[in-house]
Amino acid sequence: MNLIAIAILAPLSMALLTMLLRRQPAALALLGAAAGLLASLGLLTDAFNGRGSELILPGLPDMPLRLVATPLTALLSTLVAVVCSLVMVYAVGYMKKDNEKVRFFATLLLFASAMQTLVLAGDWILLLSAWELIGLSSYLLIGFWYSKPGVKTAATRAFLVTRSADLGLYIATFILVTSAGSTDIAATLDTRGGLAVAAGLLLLIAAMGKSAQTPLHDWLQRAMAGPTPVSALLHSATLVAAGAILLIRTAPMLPPETLLVIGIVGGVTTVVTGLMALGESDLKRMLAASTSSQYGLMLVAVGAGVPMAALLHLIAHAAIKSSLFLGAGVFQHSRDSTVLDKLRGIGRDRPKIFSGFVLAALALAGVPPLSGFFSKDAIIAASMNSANIWILLPFALAGTLLTGSYMARALRLLWQGNGKSRSVDGLAWMGAGLAGLVFLAIILGAAFPAVESLLGARLPENSQVQFLPVVLGLSAALCGLALGWFVPVHRLLGPLLPWSRQGFAIAGGFDNLIIRPVFFIARTCEKLERLLYESVLATGRAGLRLGQAVRLNDEQGIDGIIFSFVRCMVNLGGKARTLQSGLIHKELAISIVASAMILVFMLITLLVYQ
Amino acid sequence: MGHDLALLIPEIIILLTVVVALIAEMLRFPRTVLTVTIIGLLLATAQTLPLLGVDTGVFGGTFRVDMLSVWAKLILLPATVLSLLLARSELAGSDREGTVYILVCLVSLASVLLAGAGDSMLLVLGILLSGLASFALVACPRNDIATEAAMKFFVFASVTTSVMIFGLSYWFGGTGSTLFSELATLQTKPVIAVIGLMAVIIGLGYKASLVPFHFWAPDAYEGAPLSIAAYLSVVPKIGAIMAFAQIVRDIPMVTAWSLIIAVVAVLTMTYGYLAALVQNNVVRLLAYSSIAQAGYFLLGVVAVGASPLALKSLIVFAAAYAAMNLGAFAVVMQAGRTLETFYGIGRKNPALGVAMVVFLLSLAGIPPLAGFVGKFLLFGAAIDAGFLWLTVVAILNSVLSLAVYLRIVVPMYQRRRDSGLSAAAADIKSINDPVTAPAPLITLVWIIALLSTLGIGLAAQLLLGQLG
Repeated sequence: MNLIAIAILAPLSMALLTMLLRRQPAALALLGAAAGLLASLGLLTDAFNGRGSELILPGLPDMPLRLVATPLTALLSTLVAVVCSLVMVYAVGYMKKDNEKVRFFATLLLFASAMQTLVLAGDWILLLSAWELIGLSSYLLIGFWYSKPGVKTAATRAFLVTRSADLGLYIATFILVTSAGSTDIAATLDTRGGLAVAAGLLLLIAAMGKSAQTPLHDWLQRAMAGPTPVSALLHSATLVAAGAILLIRTAPMLPPETLLVIGIVGGVTTVVTGLMALGESDLKRMLAASTSSQYGLMLVAVGAGVPMAALLHLIAHAAIKSSLFLGAGVFQHSRDSTVLDKLRGIGRDRPKIFSGFVLAALALAGVPPLSGFFSKDAIIAASMNSANIWILLPFALAGTLLTGSYMARALRLLWQGNGKSRSVDGLAWMGAGLAGLVFLAIILGAAFPAVESLLGARLPENSQVQFLPVVLGLSAALCGLALGWFVPVHRLLGPLLPWSRQGFAIAGGFDNLIIRPVFFIARTCEKLERLLYESVLATGRAGLRLGQAVRLNDEQGIDGIIFSFVRCMVNLGGKARTLQSGLIHKELAISIVASAMILVFMLITLLVYQ
Repeated sequence: MGHDLALLIPEIIILLTVVVALIAEMLRFPRTVLTVTIIGLLLATAQTLPLLGVDTGVFGGTFRVDMLSVWAKLILLPATVLSLLLARSELAGSDREGTVYILVCLVSLASVLLAGAGDSMLLVLGILLSGLASFALVACPRNDIATEAAMKFFVFASVTTSVMIFGLSYWFGGTGSTLFSELATLQTKPVIAVIGLMAVIIGLGYKASLVPFHFWAPDAYEGAPLSIAAYLSVVPKIGAIMAFAQIVRDIPMVTAWSLIIAVVAVLTMTYGYLAALVQNNVVRLLAYSSIAQAGYFLLGVVAVGASPLALKSLIVFAAAYAAMNLGAFAVVMQAGRTLETFYGIGRKNPALGVAMVVFLLSLAGIPPLAGFVGKFLLFGAAIDAGFLWLTVVAILNSVLSLAVYLRIVVPMYQRRRDSGLSAAAADIKSINDPVTAPAPLITLVWIIALLSTLGIGLAAQLLLGQLG
């Protein structure tokens, strides 16, 4: 059995088994996740030993389905497996009191399996399928508590936004596959020229949808309606990461023009969503905005032409963000809320969890020697080495600054003030999952050189001023932390605060720009339809009336005339019969009289003729 | 002289057939009589075929061998054969069977002579011969109804024929000849021409049952055996109409003869259909229908001399009329004499029902059947001759005729009416006693008639080419 197959099939088979057995879902889920993790680790080990593997399945004619384990895909697969496993562990505790564990864990396993397929996919068709599958399973998971108000809308919105953006992936796939003549992703990466620009921009659209980049970032915050482990998974290594992973994998193909667009989109996103995170009053929504912001930074790195930096940040962010969410989940259970005002002082009630949360927050802000420091440093260095330094560097620094600010603000709010917590079941499971992820968030930085060597790509070294990126990044991060801790948010954002809380909606955002017009068009169509329907009915009624009138006319008019004519004819017939008396002398007399009349007539005509 | 006889071979064959048949009848071999007559008639028909295209006179113009008389033979002789088959199935076993066949042959001979009449004396001969044989045929059942009908027929015929002979003597006096071809000399003596024409209208009007000389026809058809009624409604009538056409070809245009004939045509059609509309007896209905159809024939007669289409249309309609009328009578022989007996026939015996519908619709002149083609040509001839009003009246009468014929068609596809009537119907049924047993000869006849009715309709174009 190929390890690739196990990595994908282990979660999937456990999902099916869970659905079939309908008992012990947590154990099965852990089993599936663990098996997948082992397989992924095996793949990674192979990759370190320089052994890739490939699994070719029969697919379309001449277009077989490929699953490949290159160093990059093995690394991503391991990342996904690790985060999934730890989140599963956490979820065992988090979902302890939920009644629908079977559905939850089955969907979660499906999600993990789909994500593994996505990262290991070696051809576009499989990638597309996996892309759709994670869209579907995230929809199911976001809408897990479908009976709560707003959840269904949130799930539908997430699904619709990502689906709309998926159109970009479809068209891009079409372009790439038709131009390269193969569905192999590696083969299509040789595409150059105008097609590459078009395909790159279309891929960017797909990535923007999945990775919640401005202006398609709105759905991610709403998706917080789902269970917290789901959020942790979505934001760290799966759904949202898919966008960035797509761009990282296709980066060799992307021409400079596309890269610049990607960098600008990422930069704008990191600033806009960073400001949103700063102004946010809900912990989970703040974390969601932060996710968009961090992925914006990754896009900046891709735009700067160093996908390696983006990958490193992706890995670091996966561990950090899932830690943060898991911590937030514990707080949520303790206070039955995620609103920051209600969570005040929670840090004193849950000191162990809070310390993990703080470590992760500092890592995200980029404090050395935590993992985030190294990846942020790499991104800033990449933007400084880029040809577009004056566009990308400000974005990268602003993102770093904002990260520090909003994390510091959150920490301050969680530490200061008073509140009343209640005891939480399953704290041990949750603590275990959290501890594992926080550990990773701390030490992953040390693993980065190994990753670099594995992928065979060195981060760019700034030969002239080697320390400059470090100084810039560190000062930005520390500045941000200080600002966030000491300056109240309304002073920090000033007039921008209300606007940031609306998600920087320009002219009402999607609600006004797209949804309302669409609904307006729909209602207009419905009115037209109704009008048409009514007019058809009216036509029908008019036809019926006309028919009745015609029938009336027929019965009393034309029929009347015809029937009276017929009666008249029958009467005439009766009269004609009376001529036939059967008495031969009468009949002869009639003949003779008639003959005489004819004769007279003829003689008269003779006279006239003469 | 020898050449003349060669042209008369069909008539001579019929005459010889009659003689042989008489001998056989004297020996009491009715089936031999039938065989002889049928073979003789078919032989005569076959001998007529070589005469197609001939246009001449025999015995100094006394008898005409032209398109009209040749085609009359080709139509009337097969029609006679079919009638003989019908008569056989109706009269088989009766003691007058053989006599009937011989009389039928004589009437056919007379009709064929009439169709080629070029002389007053031949006209009289034809009418008398046809008349005398017909009386005997009508009287053959030897019951009160038949005897009375034959008696009326005889009286009517005597009166009209004597009036005709009286009128014809004026023509002889005026022209000094009995030949019709000499009538042109009456150009200067219009009164004589008119009196003679009046006489001819009376004489042939009785023979062709034109209104107002039709009174004998319904009674005779009802009294006679059905097969004889079928025969009388077809063969002598067509013969008389042909004779009419032969005569009017030579009448000078000093008189308004075509107008008079048009008036008679209108009277005949309208009266026939109106009277048919109220009949409950199918035989009487068909009798009046055949009177009305004679009116349509007159459309062709009116156009003779004025339209080249006239003679062709007469021939086509004669063929169509012979086929559909014989067919209709054959179906009546199988189904029964009253409308009551027609209820549900279309369901019980679909083939018979379809055949009857075809015959009746053809009689009404529905395309693409034979009757339509014939009437269409007749209308064309009449319009060609300037009788548009007459055509309009004829078309209106066709509408009326549809009502008449649908009176038979509609019950055929209905269920029998409620039980109140069924008792009376059963009575009538027992009185009329239709031929309920399977009758292969009748079936053969209506199948042939059906094929002809359909065939003439479809082959009209071909037929016209043949005639042209």
